[in-house]
Amino acid sequence: MSGKKKADLKVIILGDYAVGKTSLICRYIDGKFQTQEPTVGAAFFLKQWGPYNVAVWDTAGDERYSGLSHFYCRSAGAAILAFDLNNPKTFESLWARFGSILEAANEDCLKIVVGTKVDLLEPEHREITIEEGRKLSRDLNEHIDIRKLPHDPYFETSSLANENVQEVFEYIFQYCLPLSADQKKRHRNQQKSVVDLLENSEEGDKGKKKCC
Amino acid sequence: MSIKAFELVSAIERVKLMSDKAKTQIECMDVCGKNMYIGTSDCFVVHYSIEEKTQPNGRVTFVSEKQGHKYLVVKKPIAQLRAASALNRIMVLCDNTLTLLNMFDLEPIVTGAKIKSVTCFCINDNPVRTNPFSVEICVALKRKLIQLYTVTEDRLMHLRDISLPDQALAVGVDGKFVCAALSSQYCVVDTDNSQFTDLFPIDSDQIKPIIKRISKEEFLLSGPSALGIFATSAGVSQRPPMQWSDGLTSVSYVHPYILAMNDEFITVHSILDQQQKQAIPFQGGVVLGDFDGRIFVASSREIYSLVPIPFEKQIQALLADKRVNEALELAKNANKTGMTRDKFVKMFKRIQQQAAFIEFCQQHFEEAGQLFRDSGIDVREIISLYPHVLPKSINFTRSVPPLHEIADINQLSRSDEKVKAAYKEFLRTFLEDIRGTNLAHGYKREVDVALLKLYAESAPERLCELISVDTGCDLDDCVEWLERHGRLHALGLLYQRHAENDKALAVWTRLADSDSPDPTFPGLEFVVEFLSSLTDHELLWKYVDWVLEKDEELGVRIFTERPASEAQSERLRPETVVDYLHRFPRAVITYLEFLVFQRRLEKEKYHTHLAVLYLEAVLRLMEGNSVKKEELDIARSKLRHMLQMSSLYRVQLILGKAKEKDMHAECAILYGKLEDHDKALRILVHKLKDFGAAENYCQVNSHGKEPGYRKRLFHILLSVYLDPSYERRDTLVAPAMALLNSSVAEFDTVKVLQLLPDSWSVGLLAQFLTRAVRSSMHNSRTTRIQRMMARGENLQVKQTFIELQRDAIVMNDERACAVCNRAFNDPSFVRYPNGVVTHVHCAKNKYICPVSGKLFSAGRTR
Repeated sequence: MSGKKKADLKVIILGDYAVGKTSLICRYIDGKFQTQEPTVGAAFFLKQWGPYNVAVWDTAGDERYSGLSHFYCRSAGAAILAFDLNNPKTFESLWARFGSILEAANEDCLKIVVGTKVDLLEPEHREITIEEGRKLSRDLNEHIDIRKLPHDPYFETSSLANENVQEVFEYIFQYCLPLSADQKKRHRNQQKSVVDLLENSEEGDKGKKKCC
Repeated sequence: MSIKAFELVSAIERVKLMSDKAKTQIECMDVCGKNMYIGTSDCFVVHYSIEEKTQPNGRVTFVSEKQGHKYLVVKKPIAQLRAASALNRIMVLCDNTLTLLNMFDLEPIVTGAKIKSVTCFCINDNPVRTNPFSVEICVALKRKLIQLYTVTEDRLMHLRDISLPDQALAVGVDGKFVCAALSSQYCVVDTDNSQFTDLFPIDSDQIKPIIKRISKEEFLLSGPSALGIFATSAGVSQRPPMQWSDGLTSVSYVHPYILAMNDEFITVHSILDQQQKQAIPFQGGVVLGDFDGRIFVASSREIYSLVPIPFEKQIQALLADKRVNEALELAKNANKTGMTRDKFVKMFKRIQQQAAFIEFCQQHFEEAGQLFRDSGIDVREIISLYPHVLPKSINFTRSVPPLHEIADINQLSRSDEKVKAAYKEFLRTFLEDIRGTNLAHGYKREVDVALLKLYAESAPERLCELISVDTGCDLDDCVEWLERHGRLHALGLLYQRHAENDKALAVWTRLADSDSPDPTFPGLEFVVEFLSSLTDHELLWKYVDWVLEKDEELGVRIFTERPASEAQSERLRPETVVDYLHRFPRAVITYLEFLVFQRRLEKEKYHTHLAVLYLEAVLRLMEGNSVKKEELDIARSKLRHMLQMSSLYRVQLILGKAKEKDMHAECAILYGKLEDHDKALRILVHKLKDFGAAENYCQVNSHGKEPGYRKRLFHILLSVYLDPSYERRDTLVAPAMALLNSSVAEFDTVKVLQLLPDSWSVGLLAQFLTRAVRSSMHNSRTTRIQRMMARGENLQVKQTFIELQRDAIVMNDERACAVCNRAFNDPSFVRYPNGVVTHVHCAKNKYICPVSGKLFSAGRTR
């Protein structure tokens, strides 16, 4: 809500009307799934990642907001291109519509292709293969050194079943704002609001040893 | 929806324009301090003074007076008009020409400075240059060009031209950035380097482009689909867009609200959550503007002000609608309105409290608890909602003005027991949580009493802990409450806590006697424990009877388990207790055992008494027919142990009785006590035939006595074995031999030899004799060694003595005492081994040198 704090990373989510962009973000931010009204214009969420603030921008998929999406993409460090795994049209429009919109984003913008609603997918009626998705994700990221990534920036998610949602965001954050293993642990704990006494005591021990 | 954030108040009801022609209409206006300027459609600039007055009832009214007017001759409408108070000028845009007028007399300035073919202009509120007597403006021209000017009293100084791809329909400026609306898109231009950033496309035919500067480097723009879009000068957005209505004509901003006007409504949105908060019907609005934080709105002929409703009122309105989160959000932002920190904190806490009570009413207990805690509420406010839970003696009046309209939880729960229980559960957990924290500071009594009452109702198992650990509960109404709920044990504890031991005991006796006991009451044992550590002995006696009658063995613990540190008291003297316990045979035994074995009191009376009691017990058992053998054995061994261990009882008394009943083992011990060993051993050997016991007897009775005594005892035993007068003495040869060969027995060999019958063969005695000879030899040798060592020691001492005496000491007049430093007057003196010489009376200690403090070993000087 408060945009005054300067965010360290801007992540934008794009994709066709009703592919489940807002649901994906809600699942990650609020940890729950609920039916969403169509997004008007854009919406904004702030997320803590270790010491960093990440601004997550949700856009409206409706074609009449295309001009705005372009504007909201500006200076995005990462973009999630979402499509409905059950609807090949939405996959095609990633190429057709959103490729150009992303020109406004940062030059080194990481683009992640995310298939949504995997829970509705019947394997025998699958129209978009995993390989196609992966290929698109590789093609979109030609500008960056893809070898630095742990795997292709392609995910298949379900916001309803909370499948792969956390992974998408952590994949992005870890690439754009890498945390050390230690920081990451602390971040997890923060989320769980658990204090890891063991970890602290270990550190304390090390210090003591040095003294002696 | 909605907060009532603003109220429409008429400012100038009917603008008295120069000409009363019907077509005269307001086109634009500006307000600067008390001056209001209006531009009309028929080319007049009118000057009013306007003043805001707040009535005692809080209503705001405006008083206005016309100051003057000016006709600008060109017969075109005044398109834009801005006052620049620093320059005493107003800038007027009319007929595409920007000119300057004097602020007071509305006359054109002498230099006649003007800019032509202007479509619109705006003032830079965040100027790059800091000259206070100049104003920076940005001007959009008819051509594809915008220009920057510095305006002074009489001049318009051109700074820079920036060409655009298209004609600018609206401009906004902040610092070095200009935001411009072109016919198909918005853009931001950096005026330093003319760098051009696209924002987003619009269709200016459908939507009137509006650029409103919100804050430093941030603009609010009207976007497609009636969206209000925020954009920074860097060309990005930091806030989500907001949904407006169609056909907007103007936008204003007063933190934290954005106001937007179309033909029919003025809508109010919060910049905090982008939601619409209020809609004010307003037909035919022409101008809406914020002027130094005040908002004025004009229709074609009338001017109104939108007076912000004070935050508190808005918040209260939200609270009244139970919109807690919005109220708190608004309250948090209220500190931006120039309140002092203290005042804000106070206000905010109060709102939190009100909010908490609202959540409380709706049974949102988690939220309510959090808010109660955060707001640092006076816990009594909460407790007072629960009838009878506050201590009666406390005179608490709820805060005024009231934080809520709740009478009590009965009203809230509408007598639904389930709901009521939930409310009580909430109070319980809440109080438990805050107990001992700052929040409960100063209200310990209220909190603890409340908890006590709640526990008494629903969780009696927790009462004990509450009462025993540092409780703030007083006796006042807790007593009555606990009684009513039948929590008698807790009541007892509470009395105990307040040192009302008498009452406590009264409660407990009642409890122990009653048929329907309190499940938390641990039973009689608890009372006994309590009595055993009770320091008030008078009170103790009052209850002893009752306890002993209930359970003798338990009851006697009152006397036997007293704290070790307790001071002796007249009321608890052993005699008194023993006398008292007479009626309770088992108790008295236990008590005497305690005195004899544990306290180790060496009084004949107790020992005898205990011995007699033991004896009586044994006798009773012996008389009874169907008594088990084990029971008797135990009783007798107890008696024997007593007889053996103690030597303080009156032996004769016991002996008499023991003899009567043929209690041989006991008699033996008793004879032993009388040192009549012969008789004792005879009993052991002849009557009981317990040779081991006889041997043991010798050892036990000689324990701690001189070595000869033991020999004598064993000798007696031997003579008993060998007594020729005993008719069955053949049977005793074997034990006699065993005794002689025993490693524990000691004998005077000579006497033994005299005693042994001549008929016994040497072979039979070989073992004994060898041993006797060897030990005799051993003794003789050890003695010799001892003698020689003593002699050696003696010689050594002699040598030392001679050495010490060998040196001569000269005593003359100069010789002074080492201690007092006086001369020696009489012939005797003291010399220490280290040569120090003193008077006899100065030598206080002959082992310590008075000068050096050296210690001479006592052994050597002896």
